[in-house]
Amino acid sequence: MNVRVETVEGARVVVPEGRLDFGAATGFQAQLEQAIADAGQAGAPVVIDCNALDYVSSAGLRVFLLAARETQRRKLKFSLCALKPAVREVFELSGFTRIIAVHADRAAALAH
Amino acid sequence: MSDATHVDGCGLTNNIETADSRVLGGGAGTSAVASALPQQPSQPTAATPVRALAHMLLAPDGRYARPAENLILALILFSVASVGVETMPGLPSWAQRGLHVGEIVVVGVFTVEYLLRIVLAEKKLAYIASVPGLVDLLAIAPFYLSGLDVRWLRALRLLRLLRVLKLQTHVLETTVAQRTRELAEKNAALEQAQAQIKAELDLARALQIAILPATFPANGGCDGAARMIPATTMGGDFYDFIALPGGKIGLVMADVSGKGVPAAFFMAVARTNLRDLAAHHAQPGACLAATNDVLCSQNPMDLFVTVLYCILDPATRVLRYANGGHSPPCVRRADGSVEVLRGTAGLVLGAMPGVDYVDHAVQLSPGERLVLYTDGVTEAFNAADEAYGVERLVSVIKGHGAGAAGVLVEQICRSVKTFAGNVPQSDDITLIVLTLDQLVAAAMQ
Repeated sequence: MNVRVETVEGARVVVPEGRLDFGAATGFQAQLEQAIADAGQAGAPVVIDCNALDYVSSAGLRVFLLAARETQRRKLKFSLCALKPAVREVFELSGFTRIIAVHADRAAALAH
Repeated sequence: MSDATHVDGCGLTNNIETADSRVLGGGAGTSAVASALPQQPSQPTAATPVRALAHMLLAPDGRYARPAENLILALILFSVASVGVETMPGLPSWAQRGLHVGEIVVVGVFTVEYLLRIVLAEKKLAYIASVPGLVDLLAIAPFYLSGLDVRWLRALRLLRLLRVLKLQTHVLETTVAQRTRELAEKNAALEQAQAQIKAELDLARALQIAILPATFPANGGCDGAARMIPATTMGGDFYDFIALPGGKIGLVMADVSGKGVPAAFFMAVARTNLRDLAAHHAQPGACLAATNDVLCSQNPMDLFVTVLYCILDPATRVLRYANGGHSPPCVRRADGSVEVLRGTAGLVLGAMPGVDYVDHAVQLSPGERLVLYTDGVTEAFNAADEAYGVERLVSVIKGHGAGAAGVLVEQICRSVKTFAGNVPQSDDITLIVLTLDQLVAAAMQ
């Protein structure tokens, strides 16, 4: 799995690509933690742009949960955007959409 | 040090004997190198005992590699020192003779060593052209060349100092051999440790599977069958049948996030808490909320578990259920149609305390089937990277759901296996099928 981190309008935008399964979760977690730590210095919002994310397993979901907790602790805005239907279904099914803000696209996420 | 010298002495006699026969076999002393080189590849049949000897003396795992190595090392030191001694003025003639004999012995041994190294080498020319090969040749060449022309003698004698290079390659070789040995020992220790960890994990896995209920609680009017096919790594799926007050039956289908020992521990904690709390909560949503709060307070690894908890009242055939982030169950109606019971998605358990879970209820009828499963079923992938999906599951339930609970469990497992083909199973596959018996139900009415 490939992960890009961009800085857009002062926000840290993390872009995971491919399948976020058990094997990819640890690496993604480390990158996301780093991005959140960087964002924490600047008080910047953190957005995960899921437009290229094809699959999330339960181990992958856990990384999102940890990120939600960490951003909450640092009082940073945290949201997801551009979820593909299969990924959106996983987030809805697990109830994660109840605790993590999800936007239709990157523009909407950055506007919040 | 004295021990080493003693070993050297023993090796010396052996080597000199071989050295003599070998050098003699190759012709007169001066032409030995020149004639031996091209002969070597053209005599593969004669090389077999010689090769065995070469292996015994020079291969890293050779029987006499250690003494041979020490002998050569001692001879290098002797020969380098003798170059210095030779130049001392007024050296008595017996000493000069002694040094000359010493030189013949040294060259004899080095020549045999050089030839045996060629014999031992897989690629002979590559060895001859390699740095150690050239150094070995340089160490003996001056002796043979000096026999051709006396005028070169003095200059060539100095070349013998190049044997210091031989010392260097020798020390390097010894170091590499030692490191290789150490590495092999460490590898063996690691393999042993890994085997032990695997054995312990297998045991933990067996314990984990052993706590799953083997049988469905005996109850008139319904029957259940369940199966878990564990993935290769330690997973965190579990199911449970709980006999509740008033003849009701609790059905649990759950999947812990992640894998390995942490997931297995969290699974055990989740199962135990849910089982304890089920006895005290008549509503499934309240039971999940209470379990969630307990799990949130006992969750150092930040794991979570998806749980579908159902309470069936066999008397009324009403199924009440609450869903904590789990795949929705399916009901096969008496007419063969299949309904996916999508309800309000509750949050997975262990993620956040103080969360509510909505209660749902569905009326079941005789002849109907309830199917609970984990995402190991719907997210089994095939070689084309497609997921098995709910549609395929629904179609198997439609086609094969009329029989006994165990039959449908088997049919679904077989269908998933066929679909996945050779792709290794990455997640636990867990299923419960509940049948509401037509005959018994009819008799009761």
